Amino acid sequence: MFAKAPSHSTALGPGCAGPPLANPQQLSSAQASAHERGSHQPSCGAAPFAVDASMLRSTGSQPHKHTQSPYVTGSSVLAITYAGGVMLASDTLASYGSTKRYKSVQRLVKVNDSTVLGAGGEISDLQFILNMLDDLKTEDYCADDGQSLSSQELYSYLSRVMYNRRNKMDPLWNSLIIAGLEGGKPFLGSVNMIGVAFSDDHLATGFGNHLARPLFRKRHRPDMSEEEATALIREALEVCYYRDKQSINKFQIAKVTASEGVSISEPFALPTKWEYKAFVDPTRNAVGVW
Amino acid sequence: MAAPPLQLHTPASIGPASGPGDIKSRPAWSPYDDNGGTCVAVAGSDYCIVAASTRLSTGFSILTRDCSKLFQISEQVYIASAGFQADIRALQKMLQTRNVMYQHIHRKPMSASALAQLLGNNLYYKRFFPYFTWNLCVGLDPEGKGSVYTYDPVGSFERVGYSCQGSGKDLIQPVLDNQLKAASPLVLPSENWMTALPLEQAQDLVRDAFVSAGERDIYTGDCVEILTITTGGVHRETLDLKKD
Amino acid sequence: MFLTRSEYDRGVNTFSPEGRLFQVEYAIEAIKLGSTAIGVRTTDGVVLAVEKRVTSPLLEPRSIEKVAEVDKHIGVAMSGLTADARTLIDHARVECQQHRFSYNEPMPVESCTQSLCGLALQFGEDDEDKDRMSRPFGVALLVAGWDEEGPVLFSTDPSGKYLKCKAHAIGSGSEGAETTLLEQYKADMSYPDAEKLALSTLKQVMEEKVTATNVDIAAVRPSEDKLGQYKLYNESEIEAVIARL
Repeated sequence: MFAKAPSHSTALGPGCAGPPLANPQQLSSAQASAHERGSHQPSCGAAPFAVDASMLRSTGSQPHKHTQSPYVTGSSVLAITYAGGVMLASDTLASYGSTKRYKSVQRLVKVNDSTVLGAGGEISDLQFILNMLDDLKTEDYCADDGQSLSSQELYSYLSRVMYNRRNKMDPLWNSLIIAGLEGGKPFLGSVNMIGVAFSDDHLATGFGNHLARPLFRKRHRPDMSEEEATALIREALEVCYYRDKQSINKFQIAKVTASEGVSISEPFALPTKWEYKAFVDPTRNAVGVW
Repeated sequence: MAAPPLQLHTPASIGPASGPGDIKSRPAWSPYDDNGGTCVAVAGSDYCIVAASTRLSTGFSILTRDCSKLFQISEQVYIASAGFQADIRALQKMLQTRNVMYQHIHRKPMSASALAQLLGNNLYYKRFFPYFTWNLCVGLDPEGKGSVYTYDPVGSFERVGYSCQGSGKDLIQPVLDNQLKAASPLVLPSENWMTALPLEQAQDLVRDAFVSAGERDIYTGDCVEILTITTGGVHRETLDLKKD
Repeated sequence: MFLTRSEYDRGVNTFSPEGRLFQVEYAIEAIKLGSTAIGVRTTDGVVLAVEKRVTSPLLEPRSIEKVAEVDKHIGVAMSGLTADARTLIDHARVECQQHRFSYNEPMPVESCTQSLCGLALQFGEDDEDKDRMSRPFGVALLVAGWDEEGPVLFSTDPSGKYLKCKAHAIGSGSEGAETTLLEQYKADMSYPDAEKLALSTLKQVMEEKVTATNVDIAAVRPSEDKLGQYKLYNESEIEAVIARL
């Protein structure tokens, strides 16, 4: 048998496709190989600092357990703004490594009446985050003042939580998209497992950043109608499904609009076509490869 | 049950897991990323220019084309930062809080030099888990002259007449050195290091610097935000760069 | 004032039914026993003049310190329990140095005064903080300084109150001195005139004859770099001022 190259990202671990993060190498070689890795790294002036997680670990008799790699993971989440609303989409798969383990996991979650959270990465960490958001929601409910956290506030909160956990060397292994309406205007925010957070008119995590965002960049307009937005997001889902092995043909789309609030669709499948010549005969235009 | 012997960890002792329960193994996870970006600042006798690209990258991917790296601390004081965006945000948030506290206590906004020292202290405070950020602290001094402070991630800093930080610095800094003709720090008595260039020419130089860096540095692109700080106020302009 | 005194003057944290904190009021009384200190502010600098009570010819007059440098640009004159003032001054010195460390600039004089008064208020019976005083500080201070605003003079008391002054006197002779200052202070005074006013006022309220050994004069005046510079007068400089009286 041939040794099989790992299909997953070295950074995100089994079950998570995606590019390697900044510094997947062993620490000992990290300093020495700063120049070798040069071509893969932005050169702000120095290679990212290597910090040994075990150095920060408490020295009690039981070693502290930090997430070293994710187990059950979700793949991409896509999101776009359109006239008067935001739309998110993802499939419902939670993989166990390369096994399609749980096929009906909802990864788009209503946080409150104006916000939806979409998550990829470790599902148990997502559930932990949802528990935290539930506590926040309970506080809002108890205050009974008709106020609730806005999308931007939740985005800011989650960015602090994610950054804080990375500071403890115990990250929540997720890529999150927070979508909603902020003062009636569409808002999308993205936070990843090390606390990098930004906002844009269209977002996609994981594979989606490579497959869906080029489509978004070409076709997205902030003033799209809901029909146009749905068509775009379905096409992006289809492309992701064709090329991302850790996805299944069972999707949900979530919307937030001023008139209807949050709605998350029932799971649905997309019509697929595997008869494309490039699928049937992938080497047709690449003579000499096999 | 006896407690396990204390194990010391040095970077050299960390390698792949050699057995079950071996805590020498370490995750293929880094708390750092480098999100790229370039910042430039030029100090003149009655102005200060600070500019930064807006592309946010990870590896070979673009995360967003519109992420400002400039942050206003007070009316005439800004910081510009490249590097790891999560650390940049944390740093900006902390400095903003410190400025608000400073104003409550001292009833005045922080000057560029006060912020410069504060930023240096705070970077050094995290010396052993550094903010992976490359910063410029920019503003006008009490005489209305431009002032630029340039930093490394662990808090070394210096007041200079101009500086460039971030992924494009290898491309831009030598051009600034050449064009702005800084007095040598070796000349005694020390000469004025502020650029003698008129404002419009300095702005043109900054624009050209970013357009040039955008040609070769894949982490500099999309757009550059240029702020001109004078006693009259702050003027903001944006210039589109190549999106490739 | 003391007719209503009852057990309410025991605890430092106990208000009397009339809404008074007796221990704080007694501390303020303690200042009225102290030696007199006078501060006068001009556009050109702030002068502090203090009386030193040399109670015995066997005393070394120079060991009586009633004015102290807090930082390069801040000086204080004290009246009351001067030992308490040491604690306050130490605190202010640390604050000023911390400010220089954090912000690479001299601490604003008002912030420094505020910080002094903050400490002055932190008395109580709380055992958690060992550094905390169990009673109010029995000292009043005149804080003279020079910062971005120019020359400034503050006066503090044991209640933690501080006031910005043009001229002020504290200590046993303060009432008489205040009257003189009220009469003779002019906003456009020159610095030498302020020196003269401070010392002549002090002379009026002092029992002994003014000499170079039983008064101290300190000033905060602009230095070449336009920042304030604290300076304690030496004997000949004091004599020069006395000669002008």
